[in-house]
Amino acid sequence: MAVGLLDAAPAQLFPEQVTNALGLPGVVGEFVGALIAAFLVGNVMLAFTGVAGPWAKRKITAAFTDRIAVDRIGPFGLLIIPAAAVQLLAKELIIPEGADRPSYDLAPLVLPASAMLGFAVIPMGQLGPVNLQLADPEVGFALTFAFASIASVSLVMAGYASNNKYSLLGGLRAVAQNLAYEIPLIVTAMSVVVFTGSLRTSEIVAAQQEALFTVAGVTIPSWFAIVNPFAFGLFLVANLAEIGRNPFDIPEAPTEIVAGYQTEYSSAYFVLFYLGEFLHIFLGGAILAMAFLGGASGPGPASIGFVWFVVKVWAFFLFTQWCRSALPRVRIDQLIEIGWKGMLVLSFANLILTAVLVGVIAS
Amino acid sequence: MQRQQRSTAHRFVDEAVTALPDDAVVSYESHENAPAIVIRADRVQSVLSTLRLELGFDHCSCVTAQEYETRFETIYHLTSYDDRTQELSVVVSTTKDDPVTESAAPVYRTAEWHEREAYDLVGIKYEGHPDLRRILLPETWQGHPLSTNYNQNQPQIVPLDEHANPIKNDSRQGDTMFINIGPHHPSTHGVLHLEVVLDGEQVAAVEPDIGYIHRCEEKMCQQGTYRHQIMPYPDRWDWGGAGLLNEWAYARVIEDLADIEVPEYAQIIRTMSAELSRILSHLLFIAMYALDISGEFNATFMYGFRDREIVQDLLEELTGQRMMFNYFRVGGVVWDIPELRDEFFEDVRAFTSDLPQKLEEYHDLLTSNEILQLRCIDTGELPPEKAKHYGATGPVARGSGIDYDLRRDDPYGYYDHLQWDVVTEDGCDNFARVLVRLQEINESAAIVEQCADLLEDWPEADRTCQANVPRTLKPSGECYRAVEGAKGELGIYIRADGTETPARFKIRGPSFSNLSALPVMAEGEYVADLVATLGSLDTIMGEVDR
Repeated sequence: MAVGLLDAAPAQLFPEQVTNALGLPGVVGEFVGALIAAFLVGNVMLAFTGVAGPWAKRKITAAFTDRIAVDRIGPFGLLIIPAAAVQLLAKELIIPEGADRPSYDLAPLVLPASAMLGFAVIPMGQLGPVNLQLADPEVGFALTFAFASIASVSLVMAGYASNNKYSLLGGLRAVAQNLAYEIPLIVTAMSVVVFTGSLRTSEIVAAQQEALFTVAGVTIPSWFAIVNPFAFGLFLVANLAEIGRNPFDIPEAPTEIVAGYQTEYSSAYFVLFYLGEFLHIFLGGAILAMAFLGGASGPGPASIGFVWFVVKVWAFFLFTQWCRSALPRVRIDQLIEIGWKGMLVLSFANLILTAVLVGVIAS
Repeated sequence: MQRQQRSTAHRFVDEAVTALPDDAVVSYESHENAPAIVIRADRVQSVLSTLRLELGFDHCSCVTAQEYETRFETIYHLTSYDDRTQELSVVVSTTKDDPVTESAAPVYRTAEWHEREAYDLVGIKYEGHPDLRRILLPETWQGHPLSTNYNQNQPQIVPLDEHANPIKNDSRQGDTMFINIGPHHPSTHGVLHLEVVLDGEQVAAVEPDIGYIHRCEEKMCQQGTYRHQIMPYPDRWDWGGAGLLNEWAYARVIEDLADIEVPEYAQIIRTMSAELSRILSHLLFIAMYALDISGEFNATFMYGFRDREIVQDLLEELTGQRMMFNYFRVGGVVWDIPELRDEFFEDVRAFTSDLPQKLEEYHDLLTSNEILQLRCIDTGELPPEKAKHYGATGPVARGSGIDYDLRRDDPYGYYDHLQWDVVTEDGCDNFARVLVRLQEINESAAIVEQCADLLEDWPEADRTCQANVPRTLKPSGECYRAVEGAKGELGIYIRADGTETPARFKIRGPSFSNLSALPVMAEGEYVADLVATLGSLDTIMGEVDR
């Protein structure tokens, strides 16, 4: 990936840094460096999910619902994480009769993989001298959405291959929901692109670094969430639907269709789904942080940017859990209606408005 | 006053009966609760429709079937939604060789399920019944367990294919899908099985299949002695906290049969504890409904349980048990308010005074939430005429604008001395039923408060918890009595034949009738609404299957 000289050249990307630090020569060296970098970033993300799934989710939900949750194993119950991992993996893997084998086995792999891919182009900021971004292609922003969208393929595969009616309903719901919300999501994201004039993720973040105005000595940065709160709101709602969390947890809808597409999955396959869902929440948070919350920017030196990035991603995670604790679920037809009749119209309105504004400012 | 009301009602019924065609009525009897007319087995529909349409008996509260030595008997316990004290038993008897009688299902829809049960358990056949199948027992069951010639040692075979896909051989090329919701499913609130035909996401047909926890409660009660052995059973028809209300149903009918006067002090304790029980049940509904609409462990669900816990502690203090209270006795209650009475009443008042604020919170989380409104308003509609046809009672009927509450309309206990209101909502939808229950918690709390005031100031010398009841009760006569349970009208019919145990013990579970209305409420709606509608009925399978 050639970085043009005239671009607001980002610092060296993480894979190059790894290659240089290890002194690996040539194309093979670059390849090995990239693999190591991707391995490290991937593990950070997996660690997030490891903490979020068995522990943080329980603690957060408990706080919302007047309970205590895990506190017996280890400090703050943190050792529940390895305990849950052992427990989940030790369960019997049950594969239903009549399951469509290749796709039944592949679906739980596709979901987390698609989310992991999404992180490849997210600029996660600096941690000391390390610049945590794996790749910065010119169409990076579009790529994240493309990767994230693969998730619905996985849900359909799981729903169809399980040979279970509840799963099938869940799979169909997932398609309907993703169609209805991905378009508003991407149209809203386009308004960000109209602002920055670039699909390169690093440039989208860079465009949000300038000061917007100063109030009482506090400098308000030109994060797009502040510049265009309307678009932020739209994006936030569409994002909730995209990751399938209340009030849009239609594809799973326990109490209606048992567990939707994952009804038949058990043991390691179930863990993979669970993992994939959390990764998608974090990816959703990462995209939100990147496109609307100034990426890794925050008070303090740029070298702790990654900390701010993590804070923003976890804030989004907290938001999803809050919604889950507080909001009822809409019905499938209402969901589709909100998507096609409401969100889509609003997102186009937002796009046109943004284009006009940008045009006015430019002239 | 109660007695006086009854005698006027009797007179009205006597007049009404003269309006019936002469040749239909065979003879007259008298049950403890109502006059009874015995009619010919082939004139059931014409007699019942005259009673329903012309004489205002629009509520078929219960259908009892029983076997005598020489005949089978079906009793339709009729009453009126407008005046509950107007009661009439219509008795249809048939010979043993040919137990066929005309079905009442075309006149009262609620009779459809009741007659199926009568056929299932007793073995009477109903001519003209739209769908005379077994209801509680599996299709393949041999014999009718409550009939005298039933051989309980006969092996029974229940094949697995009992739940085979009923539309498997349907040759029509449709896009419908058959799906079993339950008996194990997150939202069926117990072991209920719904056979659902879906057209996409929409419910084309739904049929409740019940009987999964049929525990022979009626038979067990028939084997218990009146004095002590029956009272623990009613608790087990409702594990949602409404046990005390159920106990009262038995207490009421046996006290009427055996002519026992309950001391006023005990009546007040009963009233207070029963209303605490109702709060327990309604809070459970609120919590579970939040679960049905939102899924997973949301805040409302846990808040419901948090607040239930307070009531649960109060009742534990009072009865010594958290679920199967067994606190009522024939002629009163088992013991007085626990020692350190002041502390107990303090706790009760602390609960009732905190309650309005908590209810406000539920209103914030549920009824004023726009998504919940979107989901609940105009879904699961049950217009009042249909509700009456299906014998819906309790919050389900009151959510359809039917002003019917046995606590006021057929007074018992201490209710007619207290200040409280019957809550009704005209929405006829899921939302109205949620509103009714939320407001009823408030009314119940008001009753509890008033009872606590009365009990606290009650002179110490006059605190009689139980009437003098003979050690062995051997009443005789027939009596059907109901109380306002948490889910609706909980009725019990007892035929006492002068022995220590009932000759027939029939339970009318309110959820049984309410649940039978589910198909008309949910058909044509979305799957999600089916779940929401089922939730709003607040059924408990313990009193459906018994």
